Amino acid sequence: MSADPYNSSVRGLFADPTHAGSVSGGKTVLVDDQGVRVELSASAESGRISAMRFRAWGCPHLLAAAEWACAAYEGGPVAALEIVPIDRIMEDLAVPAEKTGRILVLEDAIQSLGRDLKSLREGCL
Amino acid sequence: MPDPMIYLDFAASTPVDERVLDRMREVAVMNCANPSSTHAAGREAQSMIAHAAEQLASLLNVAPKTLVWTSGATESDNLAIAGGARYRAHRGKHIVTMRTEHKAVTDVFEMLANEGFEVSWVEPDASGVLDPDEFAAALRDDTQFVSIMFVNNETGVIQDIEALGTICRARDILFHVDGAQAVGKLPIDLGALPVDLLSLTGHKFYGPKGIGALYIADRPGCHVEPILFGGGQQRRIRPGTLPTDLVAGLGMAAEVASASIETDLKHLRERRLELWDGIRDIGGVTLNGDPNGFPGILNVSVEDIDGESLLLALEPVCVATGSACNSKSQEPSYVLRAIGRSDMQAQSAIRFSVGRSTTAEEVRFAADRYRAAVARLRKLAPDAAA
Repeated sequence: MSADPYNSSVRGLFADPTHAGSVSGGKTVLVDDQGVRVELSASAESGRISAMRFRAWGCPHLLAAAEWACAAYEGGPVAALEIVPIDRIMEDLAVPAEKTGRILVLEDAIQSLGRDLKSLREGCL
Repeated sequence: MPDPMIYLDFAASTPVDERVLDRMREVAVMNCANPSSTHAAGREAQSMIAHAAEQLASLLNVAPKTLVWTSGATESDNLAIAGGARYRAHRGKHIVTMRTEHKAVTDVFEMLANEGFEVSWVEPDASGVLDPDEFAAALRDDTQFVSIMFVNNETGVIQDIEALGTICRARDILFHVDGAQAVGKLPIDLGALPVDLLSLTGHKFYGPKGIGALYIADRPGCHVEPILFGGGQQRRIRPGTLPTDLVAGLGMAAEVASASIETDLKHLRERRLELWDGIRDIGGVTLNGDPNGFPGILNVSVEDIDGESLLLALEPVCVATGSACNSKSQEPSYVLRAIGRSDMQAQSAIRFSVGRSTTAEEVRFAADRYRAAVARLRKLAPDAAA
């Protein structure tokens, strides 16, 4: 029997992405690279991410990783977006090494969103 | 994966027919002998193999002695191409095939190129069909071997084997046909078709895996050199102890197919049409291949969708992206690229393949699932199409 290319986490996140969509009135970034597209949007309040959503075009690992990231960052500090736990995402979702580039696209999107939210906050101050 | 699975991957492999299973069980229980042994049990095993050869020969309208048992179509293709080209090498080393052939063919041609053969890769048209005139133009005085598949495993496109074979026969070129997707599914009369070598495998037409055959026409200059060594079985063309139960199973599969091809084809046409009707109006969907191709295969691409995600979203419908043999590769199908599809179109391609047991209900489920999966993935994507 061929090994299942997706672990249960990927299957669950892909099947039921509760953070799919966009946040109106927040900041939105789009990164289009490596043959995939990741759009992240979020709103922040008092330095914390109040809502974070994604839209993505790519393989199940990428979609699952985007959902994983939204769930992980939502409710946390905006500053956390500067650090993306790539190794943990790769491990939790058993992402094949040849797909690392796609996860790095997600990393770019997360960090870009963090910069935008930070500037928004600074602009407000 | 949640049950029940909807199996629409009959081009990859078919379930073993109950009658085939019965015959294999009967043979396996009745006789354990090596069919090369000269004692009574061995002779009995040999007679079972001879009976299977008659059954398969009847399906193809050839003499049983023209059939060589192999482990499957990959080995048959290797034996035909490497063995045939090498056998004819003293006459010329130009060999011809298509870009859209199975890897079991193209990889052997590439190996032969490394041995000093000169390969010409002929191109089909946008629907995947090879124009006989363009094919003829690729032939040279030193062309000695040609391999063209009967039914394409990804698109179901059917080549005009009679026209292509006639061209080869007029030039005394050894003509091999990969018939893995055609034998037992389409009426094939090798008594009339100008084919020298034809590969087939049991598991594509409700027989067991691990057994196939190569037809070698009984005519002067038509022969192959062996690629395996270690015994004198099968006229020294293909040594090795034959698996009597598998051979008997393939023979029975051929007998069943002989009686059911027309009924099967009618059934496949109905299911394929239902499937296509169920998805054809989705925006951006295109049919890959010839609308008049083999009715068991429907290959479609859809714009703005990642094929890998589509495949997962389609579960529990079991289908293929490209061919099963390449499904672990992330490369877009080279077959679809060869017929002019873009990388984006090729990577989104799904091959549905229906079979004898496919029901209208299963096809409706698959079509509904496809529609829902495309809609969901488009909604998930940035800049999604409406």
